[in-house]
Amino acid sequence: MSDHTGHTDDVGAYLLSALNDLERQAFERHLRGCDECREELERLRPAAEALPGSVKQLEPPPGLKKRLMAEVEPRRRTPNRSLLAVAAALVIALAVAVGVSQLGGDDTRTVTATVADAMPRAGGQLDIDGDHATLRLHDMPDLGRARVYQVWLQHGERMVPARTFEVGRGGTGDVRLPDVRKTDGVFVTREDRGGARVPSEDPIVSVPL
Amino acid sequence: MASDIRDLADEEVMQLVQRGDPRAFELLYDRHGGAAYSLAYRIAGRQAIAEDVVQEALLSIWRNRLRYDQTRGSVRNWILGIVHNRAIDGLRRSSVHDRRRATLELVEERFEAPERTDVEVARREEARSVRGALDTLPDEQRKTIELAYFGGFSHTQIAEMLHEPVGTVKGRMRLGLEKMRRQLAEGAA
Repeated sequence: MSDHTGHTDDVGAYLLSALNDLERQAFERHLRGCDECREELERLRPAAEALPGSVKQLEPPPGLKKRLMAEVEPRRRTPNRSLLAVAAALVIALAVAVGVSQLGGDDTRTVTATVADAMPRAGGQLDIDGDHATLRLHDMPDLGRARVYQVWLQHGERMVPARTFEVGRGGTGDVRLPDVRKTDGVFVTREDRGGARVPSEDPIVSVPL
Repeated sequence: MASDIRDLADEEVMQLVQRGDPRAFELLYDRHGGAAYSLAYRIAGRQAIAEDVVQEALLSIWRNRLRYDQTRGSVRNWILGIVHNRAIDGLRRSSVHDRRRATLELVEERFEAPERTDVEVARREEARSVRGALDTLPDEQRKTIELAYFGGFSHTQIAEMLHEPVGTVKGRMRLGLEKMRRQLAEGAA
């Protein structure tokens, strides 16, 4: 059995993962022979386990679940690239022909986004489903820590600031928006982190409605 | 039936996961993916890194699902513990400067979950309650706990950073957790 006095304060550091590997191993060896430290560990554990619950609760990007489930259940994988390319070409052709492709009932439609020439690989669409809409973008450049993308909703002459967002892997951004049925357009600009009250540049993504 | 599985408790869902049921795993993601992503984002400070952390952590859970032992705690705490370890491992590979900045500055968090469901409302309430408990701590205890848990710093690094003896830092961690435990227990009573 090891000396208890040297480990009295290790319990907190252990629960917070703040011991180095050697210290952690030594403390775990000590725990096996020390009822007092084991009891203290179990007494304080609920406080440490509550810490993840203290952070601001965010919505995971929808693409995360899709990627995860595609690994877990390979049958769900998205079609291969050539199929996607054909599908994308069809969507673009439809969008060019009629501006808007109606997919599903009256309340469900997809509108292709127009992207600034400066981002030749980027693209996206606005999926509208009743009173919800999701702006889905891909191949958007990472703006670093200081800058974010910001969504604007056009109401007549007014541009109303909406959410700011960062892009994930592959420059993807899935941004859930409120009801856009009375909105004249959805736009994106690049702004300082924290967002702006008025757009500081011409939109780099435009979805006229 | 798809509707039946949603009535199961986490521990029962986990038994299905251990039998290799992807629907059960998806349900666990639906229940705890938000908390997992929020934790990863708080630690990593960047969306792309937080996504990678959650994906790697949950895939490791799926691949090592037989290792879950319900006598050692709840499914939620097990998942969040693995996400925490992954996120901290990633931080410890990054530069100290970046880690310090991510930890000490309040990171803008604009993808806040809308309160659409009872589960999301409950998550918000829990967050308020735990933040309340953290806020009752003396500043030096709260800061020490946050630097360790969210910043991934060891007690010796924190002692250097705050110009305090190592023993003082470890003492603050234990006392801070003790006070939080009491606050949370009083709040639950």
